[in-house]
Amino acid sequence: MRELLQLGWDALLFKDAAYVRHVARTDVLKRGLALLVLVTLLAGVVSLVVNVVGGLQPTDMEADLEEVEAGLREFFESMQPFFPVPPDFERGVREGFKAARPGIEIGARIADLPTPLPKPVGVVLSNLGAFLSLPFSRLAGWLGYGIWVMLVAKLLGGRATISQMLGTTALYAAPHILDVLQPVPCVGGVLGLVATVWGIAIYVKALAVSNEFGTGKAILATLVPALVILLLSLVGLTGLVLFALAMEGA
Amino acid sequence: MKTLIRLAWEALFLSEAPYAEMRDSSNTVPRGLAIIVIVGVAVALVGLVGATLEWATTPDMRDVQQVVLEGLQQMDWYKELESNPKFRQQFQQQFDMGWRIFPALFGAPNVGQAALQIVLLPLRLAVVWLLYGIVVHLFARMLGGQGGLGQTLGCTALAVVPQLLNLASFFPYVIVGGVVGTWTLLCRYVALKTCHRFRWGRALAATLLPYAALAVVVSFFACLGGVLGALIFGGGTAQ
Repeated sequence: MRELLQLGWDALLFKDAAYVRHVARTDVLKRGLALLVLVTLLAGVVSLVVNVVGGLQPTDMEADLEEVEAGLREFFESMQPFFPVPPDFERGVREGFKAARPGIEIGARIADLPTPLPKPVGVVLSNLGAFLSLPFSRLAGWLGYGIWVMLVAKLLGGRATISQMLGTTALYAAPHILDVLQPVPCVGGVLGLVATVWGIAIYVKALAVSNEFGTGKAILATLVPALVILLLSLVGLTGLVLFALAMEGA
Repeated sequence: MKTLIRLAWEALFLSEAPYAEMRDSSNTVPRGLAIIVIVGVAVALVGLVGATLEWATTPDMRDVQQVVLEGLQQMDWYKELESNPKFRQQFQQQFDMGWRIFPALFGAPNVGQAALQIVLLPLRLAVVWLLYGIVVHLFARMLGGQGGLGQTLGCTALAVVPQLLNLASFFPYVIVGGVVGTWTLLCRYVALKTCHRFRWGRALAATLLPYAALAVVVSFFACLGGVLGALIFGGGTAQ
């Protein structure tokens, strides 16, 4: 565990030797994955505690709804000096909220229905399930994007094996330990952004070291899949717009 | 058994060594099948525990159905239309029909279905393994691969190990998601690269060609179905 934390710390500081030693290990993927899972779980602990404690508190639906309505009112009032919200828009939001109320009431009644095990057990288990799902969600994103990066890196002459590339790029998760402060308003969002940018920088460094090529090629390999996705989205969007215009014309 | 578990564990981390060990062993197909059955049964048993815990922390679906029905009947649009007996009858029919489909679609816990998976999951994994193994072997040989059919089947059987991630479903409400599919694809790539001693480009082509072939077959039958449907129903309305 100590060794893993040291690896995470060295990765955060972009220490060349640590990256090179990590790539050379036979268990590179195992260690990379262990760090990714550990960081994701540690970062989610505070949210887990907050959610479990919140879930175990008795809820008053009317009070909650009033709080949301007051929040909406406050939001529109605070927006007025900067951006005059059209009255129609504000009325539309209020009516939408009113229309959603029966659905919210149904949800509240379902939440009050009895279950075979006591309710608090369900609250703890459902929050624990969400907490344990966090690493899978991060893994899915990292692997799903990573296979395209690997393909580009190979085409650029990268020399890493699949486990070396994945095991090293998994270090990108290290700065996401900052996500532990995600529930804190404002600060959480800013730190999340910092962690994302820092993580991308580590990803590029990891690609360069594992493939034994320069930073330029590593940046290219990291960005090309995103650019392709962006391009395809734009093409799809343009197609949809053209289709809609053609249908309107017909 | 111990050897199989070690092989499966190492194969999960995409190292070529376990795939090479499987390729060079004497009884690849029975070993591969054994791995698939062990993984399938283990995942299904653990899933049964998770499904039972989820069921025990979820209200009875009949009570939920009643609450939803009463809630809908309290809504303004329903009150406006309920004087029409035909509407009431149709609404009830459609609500009952929807209730047979939606809970399963939205993941309502079903202990019976989870228990059935103890038989169905290993069976499904074995069928997919055989189909993919045979088709991918043909493509691998076309691409100059050196492995035999038994070796291909043995190595691709190891690629089923990402299913072990589903062991997390021991805890109810855990969502493993698409990571299993992506990881399986990577394991299949390493399996084919090692089994047929491919360079990365051919290994990638061999891994993906069965998916491309499946897409072509599905598209063909979809088009065929569309044409036949148009001929049958289109012809009927023309008369």
